[in-house]
Amino acid sequence: MFEPFTDVVPSFFGMLNQGPLTLTIFLHTVIILPMIWIYFQEKKRLENEK
Amino acid sequence: MANKSVWSDNRFWQRSATWVTGFASILLIWLTLDTSAQISMGNDEDLKNGVQKRVPGPTVINYKITYEMDAKRGHEVPVIGEKEKFFGRDDYSEEEAGALLHLGKLGEQAKNCMDCHTILGNGAYYAPDLTKAWIDPAWGPEGAMQALTGKNTKEEAMAEFLQHPDQYPTHARMMPDLGITAKEAKGLVAFLKHMSSIDTNGFPRNFGKMQGAVNGK
Amino acid sequence: MANNHLTSESKQLATWYFTFAAILFGAQLLFGLVAAIQYVMPGFLYGLLDFSIARILHINALVVWMVFAMFGSVYWLLPDETGIETVGIKIGKLIYWVFVAAIVVVVLVFLFIQVGPADDTTIWFITEGREYIEAPRWADWGIVVVALTFVANLFLTGMKGNRSGIVTVLMADMIAFAGLYLAGMFFTDNISVDQYWWWWVIHLWVEATWEVFVGAIAAYGLITMIGAHRKVVEMWLWIEVAMLFGSGILGMGHHYFWIGTPEYWWEIGALFSALEPLPLVAMFVHVLYDWGKTQGAEAEKGNTRSVIKNKPAFTWFVLNAFGNFLGAGVWGFFHTLPQVNLYTHGTQFTSAHGHLAFFGAYATILVGMMYIAVQGTNGIKVLKNTKASIWAVSMISGGVMGMTVALTIAGYVQVLVSRAQMGATWAAYFDGQSGAWFTQAMDWRLIMGTITFLGFILLAKDLLTTGKNPVHER
Repeated sequence: MFEPFTDVVPSFFGMLNQGPLTLTIFLHTVIILPMIWIYFQEKKRLENEK
Repeated sequence: MANKSVWSDNRFWQRSATWVTGFASILLIWLTLDTSAQISMGNDEDLKNGVQKRVPGPTVINYKITYEMDAKRGHEVPVIGEKEKFFGRDDYSEEEAGALLHLGKLGEQAKNCMDCHTILGNGAYYAPDLTKAWIDPAWGPEGAMQALTGKNTKEEAMAEFLQHPDQYPTHARMMPDLGITAKEAKGLVAFLKHMSSIDTNGFPRNFGKMQGAVNGK
Repeated sequence: MANNHLTSESKQLATWYFTFAAILFGAQLLFGLVAAIQYVMPGFLYGLLDFSIARILHINALVVWMVFAMFGSVYWLLPDETGIETVGIKIGKLIYWVFVAAIVVVVLVFLFIQVGPADDTTIWFITEGREYIEAPRWADWGIVVVALTFVANLFLTGMKGNRSGIVTVLMADMIAFAGLYLAGMFFTDNISVDQYWWWWVIHLWVEATWEVFVGAIAAYGLITMIGAHRKVVEMWLWIEVAMLFGSGILGMGHHYFWIGTPEYWWEIGALFSALEPLPLVAMFVHVLYDWGKTQGAEAEKGNTRSVIKNKPAFTWFVLNAFGNFLGAGVWGFFHTLPQVNLYTHGTQFTSAHGHLAFFGAYATILVGMMYIAVQGTNGIKVLKNTKASIWAVSMISGGVMGMTVALTIAGYVQVLVSRAQMGATWAAYFDGQSGAWFTQAMDWRLIMGTITFLGFILLAKDLLTTGKNPVHER
């Protein structure tokens, strides 16, 4: 299931680059996901304020 | 009154903005460290041992460079081949070659090359791209430039052109005389030869592949 | 100035910045015309003021006038936002003259010395030869000092006075803006490393920090010009910051496709930069939405009067919201994916995008700020459109749009003939350049450029005569 590595030098980011979009979707996810946590924290704060 | 939505809450967006900006910056720095290691210049040992570097050492000017399709990577890559004479020599030491490249890079900046040409595709679009200029067939034995400048080798033809560009027009748009000396021209040609050996992930595509029958000629 | 209504020294300084910015704007257009003529008549000024020099002046005047107008905008809005006079304004004023003097020297050296021998002296005193940041190294250090003073003014004022959301964003943004310049101040023999860091300055300026700056200025403008609700405007601003930096910082990858950097940048650059237009759409929606909302609220009270207190400035702001989306967003997306960029990289396509993006995203809003400054300086309550202001905005935006379309067509020819068909060599390049579509496009570019320049003259006239014009409500 893993693509053989094609770039000149193997690297961590090169490994995540498994064909179309794998690396960039991974990076997008790790950037966006923690916002869920921020969301629930802020929701709790707003409820407490009431 | 209904609950105030988190989605219209300034604090939520402020915190999200801070997080996204900070984390994206950290990722960029991490990527920069990784990339910097990969694009640092190689050395003479690498070339002798056939170690592939994205940016080979300056002594690459001792070798023949071609640009060939790589089946595994799906695009063309520079191939460093057998020894090749550069201004009559193929035994430039690391220091000599490094000094030439240094002079050439200084020259590239001091003469504002990037404000007419593109280098690795960046710059102005008033004159041809120089990324792979070294392997441009125009300068090779079949091309017009050696005959035009009256020189027998690629490097000498290039150096001659750079010193007196206004004497060898190839188009109504002529390169002006920038006061390039013989020494500087040698450095600039070394810079160009070195640049053609950089692995640019297949840019420009099909470089120099179309020869002969073009426009019905 | 004769009858000056400004009581704040910070705003006074802002008007100085705007004045010099406008002069440089004119110079930018003039040298752009020279370069455009050279495409049509290659012999024009050959050996005197070659294309490379005209272009250096064209793009450096562009960057510098924008930086001047950006500094001016911040000095203008600081007293309004913080409620106090800018801290250290005397040093700010002194440094202004240092900045102007340095720019004049750099321009004169570019004009009359042009190039130097291949050594460090040239890099330090004549040109660094790196597109957009050609200014020699001594000037780099001068710019660092100037930028630090400006950032100090901003930070000290922000910390002492009322720190609104807009000021907070500007503080974070401007320190990044100034700090990034340092990434362009070193020499290396390795052209890949050179360009890697060069993009840190160029990309992280125009596709990250400058865009966030525009978001902050648009927020300020909406509050000042149409009385938009601060809380709503600032919420939008934070959303925009998240989206702009979220996509823009790693969107840098789209410059790392072909400069010797690893293949993984294809993916990072492709998707992150593909998302860059999203915040620009959001900004456009936001401006129109706020306008409709405030006007609607007035209408409910039975008030049919326009809520806009500065018609020309608002026109430029709306144009900014749309132009940013069209020029930076759409024209940027055209060629941001690696499979497209492989052929469009380094062609007139980039130039087309550059023209519309710099104009749409930055020139428009900064001209808008100039109108706001003219309104304040002359103590005008409602600044109306004049014939000149309408002709100016139409001719300039029409001219730039025309140039963009012309360059895009030229780009197509270049991509198809020089790149895809003939393989990008020297001969391929000139074959593409000689095509009828290319040469005709260059004629049109020159015509459209001339219209833009005439529009600029009208703009200058309108800005200069506003104070005496009786149509405005005082």
